[in-house]
Amino acid sequence: MQPIDKIILGDNQFFGINHMSQEKAQQLAEKFFDFNNICQVYDTAIQAGIRGIMLNSNDRAKDICNYFRDNKSKYREIRWYPFIPYPQKYANMVAEKGIFPTINEVLFKDNSASGVLGMMAKGGMAVLGKDAIRMMQMLIDIEMKIFKGLDIQVIFLQNIITDLLLGYGIKEIFEEYCEYIQKKHHAIPGLLTQNMPYLKTKLQEWKIEEIVICSSFNKIGYLMSPSVNAYVEAAKANDPSKYQLMAMSTLASGAIPAKEAYDFINAQNIQSVVFGASSKAHIEETIKLIKIS
Amino acid sequence: MMNLKKIKIGIIGAGRMGITHYSIINSHPDVKIESIADPSSLILTMMNKYLSVKTFKDYNDLFKESSPDAVLICTPPNLHYPIIKIAAEKGVHVFAEKPFTTKYKEAFELSKLYAGKNLVNQVGYVNRFNDVFVKVKEYLDNSLIGKVARFKSEMFSCTITQSGESSGWRASRESGGGAIFEMATHAIDLMNFLIGKPDKITGSSLNHIYSKNVEDIISSTFLYKNGITGTLYVNWSDTSYRKPTNKIEIFGDGGRILADQHSLKVFLNKPNEKYNLRQGWNTSYITDIFRPVPFYVRGNEFTRQLYHFVDCIQGKETDNQCSFADGVKTLEVIENIFNDYEQNGKL
Repeated sequence: MQPIDKIILGDNQFFGINHMSQEKAQQLAEKFFDFNNICQVYDTAIQAGIRGIMLNSNDRAKDICNYFRDNKSKYREIRWYPFIPYPQKYANMVAEKGIFPTINEVLFKDNSASGVLGMMAKGGMAVLGKDAIRMMQMLIDIEMKIFKGLDIQVIFLQNIITDLLLGYGIKEIFEEYCEYIQKKHHAIPGLLTQNMPYLKTKLQEWKIEEIVICSSFNKIGYLMSPSVNAYVEAAKANDPSKYQLMAMSTLASGAIPAKEAYDFINAQNIQSVVFGASSKAHIEETIKLIKIS
Repeated sequence: MMNLKKIKIGIIGAGRMGITHYSIINSHPDVKIESIADPSSLILTMMNKYLSVKTFKDYNDLFKESSPDAVLICTPPNLHYPIIKIAAEKGVHVFAEKPFTTKYKEAFELSKLYAGKNLVNQVGYVNRFNDVFVKVKEYLDNSLIGKVARFKSEMFSCTITQSGESSGWRASRESGGGAIFEMATHAIDLMNFLIGKPDKITGSSLNHIYSKNVEDIISSTFLYKNGITGTLYVNWSDTSYRKPTNKIEIFGDGGRILADQHSLKVFLNKPNEKYNLRQGWNTSYITDIFRPVPFYVRGNEFTRQLYHFVDCIQGKETDNQCSFADGVKTLEVIENIFNDYEQNGKL
């Protein structure tokens, strides 16, 4: 498995996402309404040495991907770490219409992805619904459309989906997801989770290897089930040639000062950190503080 | 060591909540999901293919042909009443999604039915298991802000943001649709939990923004015999909110509390030693207050409410929180809001 970037810039700051404060989230959403402000942050980060970018497949990501594609010569070295899907896009539709009508709409309305027409001819949802794997593959293709032409390292499954599936404990779904990402999208399969120790145990049990696992990792245990200790132990026992561990929420949405947060992170057996910051000072400080081996 | 028998669970209704609850409760080491009922053949086909559970198109067959110790009821709310009646006959513990039922009378009957039995009964008002709101409850029980006089309970989401066909939640109030049954019920239950059930409802108004048959916005005033007054405002068509948000504000003669699912601000007229809070503003966030859960899918509170249900069945927990009796109170408030609106809310 190819080693991934040690430091990756995330995207929460651009989309008005802050788990701790809705007020802060709102301020950020206002600031980054202007697309130029987003580009500026990327340029600042790249100047500071960042080469890896993590991005959720939301509506705004389309503009970001277009921008990087349109300026490919300038951003030749950038490596991408997309995570799919954007759950809010589906959540309200699922809530109102139900799961299958939602998938039906996403897959068969205004979608020109290969295989869709043939699938419709065969009976659309009625047939596809019986084939969960094929349905998952088509959804992956749709979510990945916006990233076409970019240098993609890892494709992550969003934690709400990973953890939902993890609760069901179905080996085949994880196996098929990982295989599809490797073979069809030529990327390393990634899983975002809030249950890293349990997920890692299950993957080992199922012999699913060469995966990047990205999870919250902070000294106060925020969004880390079941406990900080379990995370520290799981990381310590980990073989990075089988599972590369990536830490997110390292500052616990700002609850931990950066120095303290990264002193803790630097002491862990972690291969990569994704962080969110928007000012030059914060970006440079973070890069300086992260010293994972 | 005693080998405890696993609790056999049946799940009725495999929509969004049924599917979420399946994942969460399946992570519990003392639980075995035995059966699932849903009218969708697509869902059942998938469940059959990947999981070792018995599947049924009709919940009656689930009760006939399997023998769950407990059921999670996640069907549309208007079906809860007949299902819970069967569960009671069979002597089964019940976790029912909110709003429990769509009629106060039915809710009352079910509550009475379960009151006489030694069976766990819980309604899915998940805010009662949110770390911030649990803290607010503790503060109020300890009179942190003195004598409460006034509150606001609000809830916002971007659930319904376009005119559309009248299906699902928008179909009708009878089937449990509308912003009151779907959303306001959370904001109302939260007030029942924190302040108590109001003695009178007045000034209720409903707005239609995108929905024809049901309300999209609701506001109402709550009056209490002890002098407390409060307002309710719920809007499920507010696109400025990315996720559903409950906000509360409580004013007392000793200070003020502002809270949502993620943050808690307290203003105190005098410092409080017990909680180490100073005079003036004290801000804490979910990161200061949270207690971790064994398995996370959709927020700590979702795990905690189902693990509480299991703890109650096992007798590890004797205080059955968010019981049918609590569910009845919320239904009573809802029915009073509808009545107030019909009688006084129209020009």
